[in-house]
Amino acid sequence: MAHSQNSLELPVNINATQITTAYGHRALPKLKEELQSEDLQTRQKALMALCDLMHDPECIYKAMNIGCMENLKALLKDSNSMVRIKTTEVLYITASHSVGRYAFLEHDIVLALSFLLNDPSPVCRGNLYKAYMQLVQVPRGAQEIISKGLISSLVWKLQVEVEEEEFQEFILDTLVLCLQEDATEALGSNVVLVLKQKLLSANQNIRSKAARALLNVSISREGKKQVCHFDVIPILVHLLKDPVEHVKSNAAGALMFATVITEGKYAALEAQAIGPLLELLHSPMTIARLNATKALTMLAEAPEGRKALQTHVPTFRAMEVETYEKPQVAEALQRAARIAISVIEFKP
Amino acid sequence: MTVRPAKAASLARNLAKRRRTYLGGAAGRSQEPEVPCAAVLPGKPGDRNYPEFRPPDRTLGCWATDAAPAAGLCGAGSEPSIAPTSCAAPTCFKAKLHRKRGSQPLDMASALTDRTSRAPSTYTYTSRPRALPCQRSRYRDSLTQPDEEPMHYGNIMYDRRVIRGNTYALQTGPLLGQPDSLELQRQQEARKRALARKQAQEQLRPQTPEPVEGRKHVDVQTELYLEEIADRIIEVDMECQTDAFLDRPPTPLFIPAKTGKDVATQILEGELFDFDLEVKPVLEVLVGKTIEQSLLEVMEEEELANLRASQREYEELRNSERAEVQRLEEQERRHREEKERRKKQQWEIMHKHNETSQKIAARAFAQRYLADLLPSVFGSLRDSGYFYDPIERDIEIGFLPWLMNEVEKTMEYSMVGRTVLDMLIREVVEKRLCMYEHGEDTHQSPEPEDEPGGPGAMTESLEASEFPEQSMSQTRELLLDGDYLQRTTYDRRSSQERKFMEERELLGQDEETAMRKSLGEEELS
Repeated sequence: MAHSQNSLELPVNINATQITTAYGHRALPKLKEELQSEDLQTRQKALMALCDLMHDPECIYKAMNIGCMENLKALLKDSNSMVRIKTTEVLYITASHSVGRYAFLEHDIVLALSFLLNDPSPVCRGNLYKAYMQLVQVPRGAQEIISKGLISSLVWKLQVEVEEEEFQEFILDTLVLCLQEDATEALGSNVVLVLKQKLLSANQNIRSKAARALLNVSISREGKKQVCHFDVIPILVHLLKDPVEHVKSNAAGALMFATVITEGKYAALEAQAIGPLLELLHSPMTIARLNATKALTMLAEAPEGRKALQTHVPTFRAMEVETYEKPQVAEALQRAARIAISVIEFKP
Repeated sequence: MTVRPAKAASLARNLAKRRRTYLGGAAGRSQEPEVPCAAVLPGKPGDRNYPEFRPPDRTLGCWATDAAPAAGLCGAGSEPSIAPTSCAAPTCFKAKLHRKRGSQPLDMASALTDRTSRAPSTYTYTSRPRALPCQRSRYRDSLTQPDEEPMHYGNIMYDRRVIRGNTYALQTGPLLGQPDSLELQRQQEARKRALARKQAQEQLRPQTPEPVEGRKHVDVQTELYLEEIADRIIEVDMECQTDAFLDRPPTPLFIPAKTGKDVATQILEGELFDFDLEVKPVLEVLVGKTIEQSLLEVMEEEELANLRASQREYEELRNSERAEVQRLEEQERRHREEKERRKKQQWEIMHKHNETSQKIAARAFAQRYLADLLPSVFGSLRDSGYFYDPIERDIEIGFLPWLMNEVEKTMEYSMVGRTVLDMLIREVVEKRLCMYEHGEDTHQSPEPEDEPGGPGAMTESLEASEFPEQSMSQTRELLLDGDYLQRTTYDRRSSQERKFMEERELLGQDEETAMRKSLGEEELS
């Protein structure tokens, strides 16, 4: 029967996996202390509680202020795998906020995390990749990763992580954004070959992301040369016929950049790229259309391409007139179409 | 008076039971498991034993009066307090000892008293408890049977043993338990007197007359219901035996009897609070917190997704623009390269053209310049004597040096000859000088006559004849230096002679050549 008095015992612990957090603004300092405790259970529980708290950006800011990051860094080297998993999860959540990313850069967490790339626990690595993925959403984050020389290890990991396709997706995401920043280091580590392999993967996401990564690679001149050199263009043309829309769009984008150089143009023409690209002009995705238009423009600079495309000028004219919802996109498309026409009709 | 502990125990139990049932309602707590009397019976030495054991029937009345203290005695669990005061004790005790022969013999009492008598005396009694004999007749056989001790049921107020008055000024005489020997004697005498008096009184008391002869008095029961009267007390053997090796059962939980008043209350529905109303805020908070957390997370993800989507869009546009830029760049580059190439080509052509014209000009000039070359070359060569007549050359190169050599040799010979001659002459002159200086003792030996036998005598003679003056001058010089020479060594002489010879040679060379020439000419001619 219930008593009217208050019980002298502590209230029942509803969630045994989490430590009871203190109230209000004492929560974080107390958690920080518990993170440093010797007892394994306490640390694990504290980490779980921290995971929940870190969804709030203000908490992250506060945690940074009291210096939780150093603790987390130290915990990354912990021997217990559960602790490491949870720590990486916390860091992943932190990295989703901009304050968190700033914390990453300040406290040099990227380097500390990189030691866990070879961690035996797959969950831990998954979290690590997710954290990196979040980090590179900002250019500074991408620069950080590049400057720490992690691209080659990420490329290597891309090849190695065969069990978990999700991990490959994360790594590809990271690479896509890093390559956008600076592709030189990646080119040195044979990224084109690896991406070429991934283009033929069964998973459509991987294909699409690999094509995207190639797009970013081929922005730089060196990248273009490598792409042509390694015969990636035929595969890209093949991908233009892929059933999935965004794969096609990305492939068209990659082609668009790769065909800027003469070598690329002729490679693409040899691989019969014009046909699929013309089909892509009618794709539902506006981006795909844009990419295709641009690619065709590139190809039209070559005399053979010009000849082939002269019959298709009306398509471009039609595109010029069409309207779209977003004004920027519409404008872009119209301009592209105009340029295409001018190139096709160019007489020396 | 035999003691039958077993019987006593059984009777004690009965007694105890009865006691319990009697006391159950009234007294404080019941104590079922404990048979206090029975527990006491096995004879706890130190405890306060029940000094009395009341006979059931007779002392029920006593019991009733002493219900409370009795209750206190046997009701109290572990420590029965001797509730009855010391006054009560003796009265009860007296009652007990007031033997009703007919009453149930107090076997257990006797047992008790025996045992208690055996116990070390923590008590002092005025009247020791004692067990009554077993085989007591139910009824007193004769009134003449005297008591062991004259115990009177007396009024407490007139009891001598009770101390009256102030207790602080009493003489602390000998303790009651241990009376003085004198006292003892006096008491004994008093007792005897009392006994004697009693006997006397009894005899005086009217009794039934003696039976007539031939008749006997017979006791007859005249009540409605006949009663069997027997001398022997019906004894029933009761046995009791505890189980061997039975462990003492665990002490049952002591649940003390309830005290106080029982009060009950009942909360009917709707009296305290309305659950639904009360739970609302709590639920709201709970649900609110959960939803807040989840909203946060979902919003995060949404935000991220939105960010990424917009980023992607922007990127696409940017990419397309970039592509365009690159294309134009590329175009520009191609054009530029083309231009460069053409320019370069043109430049090369120009360059070549220039070069060619220069070459032609140079060639023409060179030709013209070199046209005059050959004759001038030949001319200069001839001038420097590169074209020569071989025979002439040969003569010049080969013959003439030989000739000169030969001439030289010949002249040398003549010179040498002269020199030797000179030497000879000098020596001679020196010697002569010495001889002259040393005195006229020594003869002038014709030494020079020896020497012409030397080689080159021919030439010497020739020279001597032709150039006496020169040689004389030289010898004069020699003579002048004679003193000097005498002091020096022979080597010096020879060196000087060599010098002279050289001079001679120089001087004589021309003469020799002339001589040779003349000789040669002479020979030739």
